[in-house]
Amino acid sequence: MKVKEFMTTNIESIDHKRSVYYAVERMVNRRIRCLLVRFSGDEREYGVITARDVVFKVLAKGIDPTKINVSKITSKPIVCIDQDADFKEVAKIMDESDIARAFVCDQDRVIGLVALMDVMSATIIARARGEYVS
Amino acid sequence: MFLEKLFSRGKKENEVIGDITKQIKLLNTACGLFKTALETDNPSLMRKVMDFERMGDAIRRDIISRIYEGAFLPYLRPDLCKFVEIVDSIFDLLEDTGYKYLDLKLPEQLRGECIQVAFLNRRICEMLLITFESMIKGEDLREKILAIRIYEKKIDDIKFDLIRDARKIEITNFWEGEILSQFLSCLTSISDVIEDASDHLQVIHVSMK
Repeated sequence: MKVKEFMTTNIESIDHKRSVYYAVERMVNRRIRCLLVRFSGDEREYGVITARDVVFKVLAKGIDPTKINVSKITSKPIVCIDQDADFKEVAKIMDESDIARAFVCDQDRVIGLVALMDVMSATIIARARGEYVS
Repeated sequence: MFLEKLFSRGKKENEVIGDITKQIKLLNTACGLFKTALETDNPSLMRKVMDFERMGDAIRRDIISRIYEGAFLPYLRPDLCKFVEIVDSIFDLLEDTGYKYLDLKLPEQLRGECIQVAFLNRRICEMLLITFESMIKGEDLREKILAIRIYEKKIDDIKFDLIRDARKIEITNFWEGEILSQFLSCLTSISDVIEDASDHLQVIHVSMK
């Protein structure tokens, strides 16, 4: 199964100048665990901020999330995968890069997001359809 | 195969199984056509989905008559009929969705997500066919039904995004908003009914044991 068949296309993003607190609000409201970080002035430059970053880089260190910008804890560059990639390739990339989600890119534009749960679901579907080869 | 024994496959039984397979395959084609019509914004193609609903009706009538003419053991008949009726109601829902689409101007910012739902509806429908064929072969349905649930959950997630995005659209006329809301509701309900159909297959499967 190709990534484009099962990716999430509705991606939440945030400007790098926003506070971490604002990012937390967005994540809690939308029940998501990461945000795509956009850098004003360059539409093709992206980063990512995850709940893990917020907890380990800000909250656990006792830093006030309202006083720190998203850009300070953003991971860059993002891991991009091709929309025609197979889910097995995605699992390999996630394993090698030790990440739980990867962005799907069309050239240098982000068009989707794939999380570990999507990889698991896609594998179950492929097995049920008889397309899974171990 | 144990189901083949229980189904005591005679000529009538084989005809019914063949027709149910035909009914689900027709539904698959209708879902595919719906998706293409949505992608290409083609009203005449969308009208063809209504023709499929009529064809589906004819197959349903044939199946029900055959079952009550004596195909299968009596205790199996109501469950099989119920399954056929559920599949038929998916045709009805698809037709309703098509009519609503013809009645509205779909905002472009929603088209991408609607196409994705239509694509997943097609996929979930293919899974229903795979599940039915597995049941006839007497295979375990667990993985297939789980796959259907995963598809349904995915569509549910998109539904919430769609509703959120739809709220941002300015509506100037009551009926415009009402039909758009009904269209989105119908489009995202198709997978619910397919899931019901697969649950019913599971009931039939379990009752055989």
